[in-house]
Amino acid sequence: MMQRVWMVAARDFSVTIGNKGFLFGILLMPLLICIFVFVGPRILNGRSPVVEGQVAVMDATGSLVSELRLDLAPAAIAARRARDAGPRNPLQRDGPPIPSLAMVEKPSTEDPQVAKNWLLQAPDAPERHLAVIAIHPDAVKRAEGRSEFGSYDLYIASRLDENTENVIHDAMRQGLVNARLKDKGIDPAAVEASMHVVRPVSVTVGVGGERETRRGFSRMLPFLCGILLFMGVLTSGQMLMTSTIEEKSSRVVEVLLAAVSPLELMWGKLLGRLGVGLLILAVYVGLGMFALLEYSLAGLVDPLLLVYFVIFYLLASLVYGGLMMSIGAAVNQVADAQSLMGPVMILLVAPYVLVPMIGQNPNSTLSVAMTFVPPVNSFVVLARLASSTPPPLWQVLGAIATGVVGAGVAVWFAAKVFKIGLLMQGKPPSFGTLVKWARMA
Amino acid sequence: MDTALEVRGLSKAFGRNRAIDDLDLVIPRGATYGLIGPSGAGKTTAIRMIMSILFPDSGSMTVLGKPSALDAKDRIGYLPEERGVYRTMTVRAFLSYIGRLKMGERSRVDARATQLLTRLGLADAVNKKCEDLSKGMLQRVQFVAAIVHEPELLILDEPFSGLDPLSVRVLKEIVADEQRRGATIIFSTHVMGHAEELCEQIVMIHKGRKVLDEPMSGLRRQYDTRTIRLEPLDVTTDLMALKSVPGVERVQLTDEGCDIGLAASADPAMAIRNIAGTVAPARIELARVRLEDVFIRIVGGGSGSEESRQALRTHLQGLSGAGVAS
Repeated sequence: MMQRVWMVAARDFSVTIGNKGFLFGILLMPLLICIFVFVGPRILNGRSPVVEGQVAVMDATGSLVSELRLDLAPAAIAARRARDAGPRNPLQRDGPPIPSLAMVEKPSTEDPQVAKNWLLQAPDAPERHLAVIAIHPDAVKRAEGRSEFGSYDLYIASRLDENTENVIHDAMRQGLVNARLKDKGIDPAAVEASMHVVRPVSVTVGVGGERETRRGFSRMLPFLCGILLFMGVLTSGQMLMTSTIEEKSSRVVEVLLAAVSPLELMWGKLLGRLGVGLLILAVYVGLGMFALLEYSLAGLVDPLLLVYFVIFYLLASLVYGGLMMSIGAAVNQVADAQSLMGPVMILLVAPYVLVPMIGQNPNSTLSVAMTFVPPVNSFVVLARLASSTPPPLWQVLGAIATGVVGAGVAVWFAAKVFKIGLLMQGKPPSFGTLVKWARMA
Repeated sequence: MDTALEVRGLSKAFGRNRAIDDLDLVIPRGATYGLIGPSGAGKTTAIRMIMSILFPDSGSMTVLGKPSALDAKDRIGYLPEERGVYRTMTVRAFLSYIGRLKMGERSRVDARATQLLTRLGLADAVNKKCEDLSKGMLQRVQFVAAIVHEPELLILDEPFSGLDPLSVRVLKEIVADEQRRGATIIFSTHVMGHAEELCEQIVMIHKGRKVLDEPMSGLRRQYDTRTIRLEPLDVTTDLMALKSVPGVERVQLTDEGCDIGLAASADPAMAIRNIAGTVAPARIELARVRLEDVFIRIVGGGSGSEESRQALRTHLQGLSGAGVAS
């Protein structure tokens, strides 16, 4: 029996991976990942044009212009950016370009409407007018009887980008704070130095050694695992369904059933597609690991997580693959399968919704409860394992045990429906009919 | 008797419809059996149960000494009525795959496939994809797939439908070779001529029940129509005048002339002499019993009218070119 099962599996596997559409599909996603990881940071930031232009200032305080001129200088902008960036994010290589801003003084008594009209230019004007800043008279010294300082109004040209606007706000904030401190006789540089505490990157100490803590990646990992599992299960499940429908509609299934039993055919197809799914995941995980190596982050992934990933992928694939294959066996064309896909899609979407919640709270009551509910528990427990506080071993083993039971029930159901449905023609059955077939087969 | 297939009390219902009802069948090894019956009679259902593709509601069977075809699939060749191939596979790969699924040794399967394809005029198609072949070519490929592993039991469901006369002849020769090799053969067909020509024994299924299980030779005796066929030399002759010839009971006009029914007590030799003396014949002979007549007598027997029998006859004659689901 096993020899025939392997032969069916080998044919399904080799035919699938030799298909041009499959090769295109499997390569497309890694290509997008490559673009995102390697090319993206270089093309997203590096080539943005430097914004150049004038910023008009109407200073009603009469004391802020010189301070502001310093704070709008490119060197000051770069220094503020470096100070605010904190520990360097390895995925963010370059920030947006620093704008070149020239300050133009305008009398504070000028009619605000006239000042705003200064921003209305012809598109081909040689010098761009970017913004008008109207500083309130009480921005440096509080007005009598008021607890708060005044601020400023900012008017910007219609095509000013968000980065430049932020630079202006930051410069204004810096300039106002410095001016207020000086007004009180306090040295802004001393305050700045006192306020600044360098935040170190924490070091995670484990049995296997020490490594820099990367909270961002740790937060993303459960979600990434869920997405990968979802993609692998959905891809192999859909391929199983469509290939079964093709075999049925092309009538080759009766030729096959003359050579193998329905159970052998089903297991052969299931194993073949599991192999295809594993190959897809191996490619994706391999590329992911390569990307982590590129950023010296490979140590963040526990090798045991990969083992668990394979186990839970197999369990989830048996459930979803079995169900989708039974749907394929019951209908004659892909369009007919849509009506039966509803319950399976609910089972697939449920973990998709759950995984982000579980990634955030991996030890909540919901997380623990869902760990034992197949078939979603494959996704749930994997998300928990990938989190920074993985579940205890007994829960993982419990999830595997319940997963095996769930897979067994799904494959049993699939085998029953497969046996009856393969030679059924005509009107597609309802899901209730499938259940009836499973009971009578 | 060494039996290839023994079926006892086989029944199968689809909902309220009893597709097969209490079927008994014993086929000795090396025999060639014809399974006939009108459309929807249950022939394909019976074959699918024999092949363990469908499972009976009740009854038992022994296939090549095993309780189920599942235990003997490697030794059975099956050409289903609904033909199918993997369209994107090459002919060689498809035949090799099917042969190996039947536990055939790869080199042996490949060599036999090449030999059979050459015999069927498909030597050039070996490396073509199945989707690039014509319907007739595909049918021959599927026939090869059924016998590529040298089966002991060969079940052919409408094997000649859709084939040109030359291909039909080659297929018949190959079937005859398989029989000489010792294979037991079960034919399911609507074309009475093929069953008559190739089969030693005829089993007829009608409305799910077996209504006939006789050797061809016995059928001829049992259903002797005592009919003389006459083609007159002069086509303008009034053939109804033959009614007055002693021993003649009825005269039925046909396209070529007439069929003359004899009374039970009439001597055929004397009747032929008397008829020839009355109307000059271009051709006169004692009509040979045809399976078609037996079929119509059984199937059309319940319907009563001559029109319905004639319609059935026309239908049967029209089936020689196309397969019809049973």
